[in-house]
Amino acid sequence: MDMHEAQLLFINEAEELLDVMESCLLEVEAGDATIDAHIDAIFRAAHTIKGSAGLFGFDAIVAFTHSVESVLEQVRADKLEFTPALAELLLDCHRHMVQMIQSIADPELASDKNQGTKLLAALDVYLHPPKSDEPLTDTSQAPIPDDSGHWSIHIDYGREVFRDGMDPCSQLKFLQTLGQVDDVRVTADFSDGEFDPECCYLRLQMALISSADKQQIEEVFEFIQDSSKVTISAPKALVNKVQACAEDDARLGETLVNSGALTKRELEMALAEQRRALQENRQAEALGNMLIKQGAVDKSLVSAALSKQKNQEHKRPIDLQFLKVDARKLDNLIGLIGELVTAGAANELLIGQLAHEKLQESFAGMTLLVEQIRDAALGLRMVQIGESFGRLKRIVRDVSKELGKDINLEVLGAETELDKSMVEKLSDPLMHIVRNAIDHGIEPQDVRIYKGKPSQGQLCLNAYHEAGAVVIEITDDGAGLDPDRIRAKAIENGILDTDKQLSKEDIYKLIFEPGFSTASAITNLSGRGVGMDVVKRNIEELRGQISIASDINQGTRFRIRLPLTLAIIDGFEVTVGDAHLVIPVNMIQECLAFDAEALAVERDYLNLRGEVLPFVRVRDILKIPGQRLQREHVVVVQFGENRAGLVVETLLGELQAVIKPLNKMFRAIRGIGGSTVMGSGDIGFILDVPQLIEFTMHKESRQCAPASDKSEKEKHE
Amino acid sequence: MNDVVLDPLHASQHHQYLTFVLRDECFAVGIEAVKEIIEYSGVTAIPLMPDFVKGVLNLRGEVVPVIDLSLRFGKSVTQIQKRSCIIILEIPFEQHHVVLGVVVDAVNEVLDIEPHQIEAPPTFGAKIRAQFIKGVANIDEQFVILLHAEKVLSVEEMASIIENVIEQ
Repeated sequence: MDMHEAQLLFINEAEELLDVMESCLLEVEAGDATIDAHIDAIFRAAHTIKGSAGLFGFDAIVAFTHSVESVLEQVRADKLEFTPALAELLLDCHRHMVQMIQSIADPELASDKNQGTKLLAALDVYLHPPKSDEPLTDTSQAPIPDDSGHWSIHIDYGREVFRDGMDPCSQLKFLQTLGQVDDVRVTADFSDGEFDPECCYLRLQMALISSADKQQIEEVFEFIQDSSKVTISAPKALVNKVQACAEDDARLGETLVNSGALTKRELEMALAEQRRALQENRQAEALGNMLIKQGAVDKSLVSAALSKQKNQEHKRPIDLQFLKVDARKLDNLIGLIGELVTAGAANELLIGQLAHEKLQESFAGMTLLVEQIRDAALGLRMVQIGESFGRLKRIVRDVSKELGKDINLEVLGAETELDKSMVEKLSDPLMHIVRNAIDHGIEPQDVRIYKGKPSQGQLCLNAYHEAGAVVIEITDDGAGLDPDRIRAKAIENGILDTDKQLSKEDIYKLIFEPGFSTASAITNLSGRGVGMDVVKRNIEELRGQISIASDINQGTRFRIRLPLTLAIIDGFEVTVGDAHLVIPVNMIQECLAFDAEALAVERDYLNLRGEVLPFVRVRDILKIPGQRLQREHVVVVQFGENRAGLVVETLLGELQAVIKPLNKMFRAIRGIGGSTVMGSGDIGFILDVPQLIEFTMHKESRQCAPASDKSEKEKHE
Repeated sequence: MNDVVLDPLHASQHHQYLTFVLRDECFAVGIEAVKEIIEYSGVTAIPLMPDFVKGVLNLRGEVVPVIDLSLRFGKSVTQIQKRSCIIILEIPFEQHHVVLGVVVDAVNEVLDIEPHQIEAPPTFGAKIRAQFIKGVANIDEQFVILLHAEKVLSVEEMASIIENVIEQ
């Protein structure tokens, strides 16, 4: 692995840890969890970032994170109360750390040095409180449990310890927070015969009186575990505890871990060794013996645990385990599966021409498997949208605080799954919408009270699946959009002609125009007239749509509809003239024969069991040349709350379509979302149904525009 | 030793051009942009497109747009004949390469054209936008027009033409 890759890995890891830190802090601040429940995770995040940053020589990050870590250490040791003010400070520190990490990846995003200095000063106040009456708590005041003996700890430091940025002294200090450290003996190991001043030759032996379990003690040495040899022997007094802990059905290892005589790591090492022995067909030793051999536990402890254990087989729930995979590998896999699907379709075509029943049967079986593999592979890229929503929580908190608004955020459907690449591209648009909702949507408290609304504003994020699409809604109970004001503003900014009449929905859409902004005062949050046009563009790039519903003084709802995946869809193949078109299956409700003569030419809607169904003549709207066929069909499609018919010529049946995006050159095309290579080798076009309908509406409204408007347009053309 | 072999090779690569015929005129593009040459078949028309976009082609699973070069030059449509070919070109666009095909009447040969053989394009008379032309070479008493492939097939420019056509 080269340095650059390692660095990327560090950035990635640090960002994940910072996310954990942030969500923990926010939960504690909101009162959803106690600090005791999360302090370990927060501390670990800071500690790990410091350690890894040290390896890369990012001194600024190490220095800053060290202060944060020190404060957290105080909180962890119950020496410092976790006040709201401290929470606020730590969240600010978190933001600064995020900036510092980001600036590694992109040096242009330099972090604010002044901000860092300010935060360090603020942290310092917690670390060195101005003269308090009590002397700082020290080891002598640490509780000394009466019923426990000595833990004996032996550390044989590795040569690399100093170079890894570890400090034996700080480990000893931290040990003191767990209990009383006695009888520390320092020896040096110069067996190499050479002396390098940057190496660590230290050996420490000490006794610890503590009620902590082995896991806790081992965690102190977590970061030197790989480079050094740490032996922790449990006190004899633990035998009682082991006996008390051994439940009837527990396994030996678990009993020892539960009673605090063994750590999970040691147990796993022993278990792995046991498995290895079994694989090599060697006689595996009993776990207990192995643990004793490893020096992990004392013999008396094992026999105490064994004496209690009953011989019963139990099925254990397997822990959820995660595997980190390079995204490119996944993309490559999905690409290959796309090729497999296309090749399968070609074979299906050929097999269809042979009348060989057995071959067809076995091929059908394989097709089923390919479909499952496809779904499983696409599933690998799916992540819960909650991750994105988590970031929005922070924005809501920060922005509402800055504006002095009291806002309650409700999150629904955080477990809804969406393609990872989409989640990433969604985070910016969602952030803009949420900021806008807080800044422009929800009124200041006094205005809300004047209007007779509750003073606390409500903001709701909701995500759910609907007919093969993911819908995300952002709803606020604020002032709502004022069509008259938007109209006036659009005319003022030259986006709209003075005499143009628009429906309410079309007026709302004006806010997505570049250079549109209605906020009379420009705040530093929004109102610069950039943002909403980016929102629309980002969502269209994901083949999605955004719509707005709003009532004055009731609130506004943004609705984003996105396709589930960007790679492969189940499609239904139809033809119009020479063109092969693919309609996403999950949008199709039914297919009907189209009786052209029964319909007057002037109207494009039909009677579907008593309901009005508007339809689109696909040949006309896509300007496909050729003569209309005698027999046509209507495919009834449903998307969201809309229903429409598509008039096509022949229905060919279902297929799996691997979406190949069209060249950037064709970005202006409407109603077609991409292309696909079919089994026959022909190229088909995937219909983007909502866009096709929108394009039809747009065209029709232009054709039906008032005469004056129309003649003017013709003059231009 | 290596230097002696590599140097002339490098130099000759630099001056190689693929010549082709379009409406009785001879054109050439730098060989480094040419990916392959295939016979004309299997082009699927794309709905709503202006005429200069012939359609898309399935090139071993890749969907490749095909352009009618004659229409792109503002001349009349290329008639598909027996010798009609599609030259597949790689055009740089936004730090990547896009693969595009152009329809021509016939492909001739690969020629070495030294820089001193290339004259500046005529200021008018070629009936092709001057910026498309890199220069003109006189090869065996016949004029060959050397094209700027990345300007003739500018993705950005073609996209905006398509946009205008669809908007209307």
